Amino acid sequence: MKLSRRSFLGGSALAALAAPRLALARGLLTDPGLDDVVKRALAAATKAGASYADVRLVRRRNERVNTREDRIEHVGSSEEYGIGVRVIAKGAWGFSATPLVTVAEAERVAKQAVAIAHANSKLLERPVTLAPVPANVDVWQTPLVKDPFKIPLEDKAELLLAINAAAMKVAGVKFVTSWYAAIQEWKIFASTDGAYIEQELVRLGPGYSVTAVDEKRGEFETRDHGLPPMQAGWEYVEDSTLLADARRIGEEAVEKLKAPSVVPGKRDLILDPSNLWLTIHESIGHPTELDRAMGYEANFAGTSFATPDKLGKLKIGSPILTFYADKTTPGGLATCGYDDDGVKTQRWNLVENGVFVGYQTTREQAGWINEKASRGTSYADSYASFPFQRMPNVSLAPAPRERSLDDLIASTDDGVLVSGNGSWSIDHQRLNFQFGGQVFWEIKKGKKTRMLRDVAYQANTLEFWSACDAIGGKSSWALGGSFNDGKGEPTQSNSVSHGCPPARFRQQNILTTNRRAGS
Amino acid sequence: MMNQNQAKRLLDRVLVLAKSGKSEAIASLRNTRGGNSRFAVNEITSSSEVETLSLSVTVKIGKRAATATTNQLDDRSIDDVVSRAQRMAKLSPENPESMPPLGKQKYIAVPRASDPATVNATPELRAKAAGAAIAAAKGAKVTIAGFYEHGTHVSALASTGGLHAFHAWTSVDLSCSARTPDGTGSGWAGATSNRVGDLDAAALAKTAVDKATQSAKPRRLEPGKYTVVLEPNAVAGLLDSFTGNLGARRADEGRSFFTKAGGGTKIGQKLFPDIITLRSDPADAGLASAPFDGEGFPRAPTKWLDKGTLTGLTYSRYWAQKQGKQPTGNPDGWILEGGTATREQLIKDVKRGVLITRFWYIRQLDPQTILLTGLTRDGTFLIENGAIAGPVNNFRFNESPVQMLARCDALTATVLTEGARVPALRTHEFNLASVSEAV
Repeated sequence: MKLSRRSFLGGSALAALAAPRLALARGLLTDPGLDDVVKRALAAATKAGASYADVRLVRRRNERVNTREDRIEHVGSSEEYGIGVRVIAKGAWGFSATPLVTVAEAERVAKQAVAIAHANSKLLERPVTLAPVPANVDVWQTPLVKDPFKIPLEDKAELLLAINAAAMKVAGVKFVTSWYAAIQEWKIFASTDGAYIEQELVRLGPGYSVTAVDEKRGEFETRDHGLPPMQAGWEYVEDSTLLADARRIGEEAVEKLKAPSVVPGKRDLILDPSNLWLTIHESIGHPTELDRAMGYEANFAGTSFATPDKLGKLKIGSPILTFYADKTTPGGLATCGYDDDGVKTQRWNLVENGVFVGYQTTREQAGWINEKASRGTSYADSYASFPFQRMPNVSLAPAPRERSLDDLIASTDDGVLVSGNGSWSIDHQRLNFQFGGQVFWEIKKGKKTRMLRDVAYQANTLEFWSACDAIGGKSSWALGGSFNDGKGEPTQSNSVSHGCPPARFRQQNILTTNRRAGS
Repeated sequence: MMNQNQAKRLLDRVLVLAKSGKSEAIASLRNTRGGNSRFAVNEITSSSEVETLSLSVTVKIGKRAATATTNQLDDRSIDDVVSRAQRMAKLSPENPESMPPLGKQKYIAVPRASDPATVNATPELRAKAAGAAIAAAKGAKVTIAGFYEHGTHVSALASTGGLHAFHAWTSVDLSCSARTPDGTGSGWAGATSNRVGDLDAAALAKTAVDKATQSAKPRRLEPGKYTVVLEPNAVAGLLDSFTGNLGARRADEGRSFFTKAGGGTKIGQKLFPDIITLRSDPADAGLASAPFDGEGFPRAPTKWLDKGTLTGLTYSRYWAQKQGKQPTGNPDGWILEGGTATREQLIKDVKRGVLITRFWYIRQLDPQTILLTGLTRDGTFLIENGAIAGPVNNFRFNESPVQMLARCDALTATVLTEGARVPALRTHEFNLASVSEAV
């Protein structure tokens, strides 16, 4: 197979020189036809009896490349476009959406949304009320240099196949899969409260999975690795060490296969940011969603231990821990200018010095806890989806003084270091969780001694965070994240990032997941 | 909604545009119109009516292939999606595993796949169902949350090789969870079908409400290995991970539970007791499946486990050709055959065990043993001396569906849940590994 010369092996000198693409922003509504669709939909909803209406025109583009070993498995590009109208009428929500972006269709779905609200209002006990918001009119775009959708597919395929080839050179590696995914989300949000906002978000992330097989023993182990998905341009991939890492990742897959199974018991646990971000997501991010805490997700995702009566009182963790929500974190997957209620995004604390102090809210929810303004966390994953409360980037603040992962290891006598994400599972009130990882190291007397396999840690959220006695400083802080956080019925997908330093947890319950015959 | 003629005309037009020179193409169309209503804290919280479309075009130039998708069907968008697929296919490296598009196929009939009452379901119908559930909850002084969703679906495919496939069907799903005011009791009930008339919101709500009140103030039960009676939704949750591991390729490659020691697969091995038979049947309309997969490959009624013996694994067209086997396509419409026991009989023979309503957050820990973890929720009860002795705390389990089936000794008749037809069953030595305080 011939591939053309591409630049991913080199750095991106252009990145430092190029102006942010915001300079090229198209500005508001260059297509007057769309302006008409938006305004006529709002007018139709109002005329039909809506006390509030908003319109979202959304275009989503996805690009995906999948490979295995020396071949391309899938190259795909998808586009979705449409209009969704959400209304409040007689105090109830109604929503309708169509992929046909015409004035007639927009007016039809606006009227249908009002009719649905009327049907729902008969069972209403408390009319929906929205916290006030300024009439924001603005444009926001992901700051980036190289639009990944303009980079030729060959570059992406060449990078992935080069990774596969590098990993396959390691003796014992038998399979490699790799992937690249990018999402572009462009939307206009307009409401009867005067909002008129255009935004374009670009998210991307490549990764790979290496499998080593021991045919004699009939066993295999897999080592996953990737760039944390981010809002960024192609320069994020170009400047990464993803390819340079491939050999090491292959070697780790082989070493993992030969490693002894962990002996279960109580040990100190050190979590690298590449593992800890997901633990934060599940045990701090989800419990502080106000709709969950109030019972709105009881039929699916569940409720929360962090109920409103505990706000300002509940000790979630040790005093060294401050978790903050932030939809302005540079590169964060949930970062944007405005949420899908038209509220400007912000940063605030959820847990301060170990104490539960804040919730994630939308305009509808702010009043539920007597707050005057929304925190700006409304999101819908498509034109066809009803916007509701979704997680912002939720991060753990670093320690005030510098401390590295190596410092944490050096001061640990008997422990296990976990990096990367394996399996994860948490109960429906976010208390009992069990997480795996990708690579596990035994720590003895302040040193990494040998690799282990089959490790999982199981804990209760409050006990776990209360046992945290050391975290890293600013330079050890890193973002992790996921394209696909599921919530709601029908399930919607949210992209979200979490930043954290490494952290140590004393005397945690380490399990073995080994059920192999003869073990 | 697209009818068969409209879909065929559209796909044929796409194929004319896509076929140039030596290229081949497959075009597929999905169209869904549906409505849903959510309710929580005893009122409707949101409700939507939505139509979605998806037109995908896969262009194959020799061993190069790429797929482009759009939801816009105007002339310009159709031209664009075809040229996007062509452009990407030319740029894509060759895939030696690429298979030519399928030609003309025969599909089994799915009687009564589309239910007129479901096609015509309205927001008012959903509000009425939600109202019945809320009334049942208020009557028992508990809080209820739930979800009612129905859809009308069309799937159509065509290829330059002569393939033409079309299927229209309906689906409906209703579930609800009740909670006691003190937060110590929770109960769930749910059902799926392809006919709105099959769902009885009041009856489902009553089950959820009864379970909530009966599960309040649970007693502490220590973790351990227990005999368990798994209600159908719990069985469906574990079975889903089992069927997801049935791929022949991974077994042949040595990285699956179904890999035979020393190489090859476990096909032909007796893995489970005689009472375990697993099949897939696309003609079972209640499962809301389709008689072909995403490639247009015909789905046939198939036994995967016959009286405990592994009789088949799933083969893609490429892997079947390489291994000299018949391709199976990607099966759907799963049925774990039931038995003759009643739920009461499953309980009656248990000296000490646990009744589990459903599982939550199931994740795989080890693909080699299909070891899973997850949690019980919404109705977990201690069984003592053949009767329900009272509610207990929830648990995290670390267990494999392989062991669930291997140690199963009794099954009830099947019901539809989670898009599968499954029984309640009794199994032993089930590893409830740690306590979950969640309710």
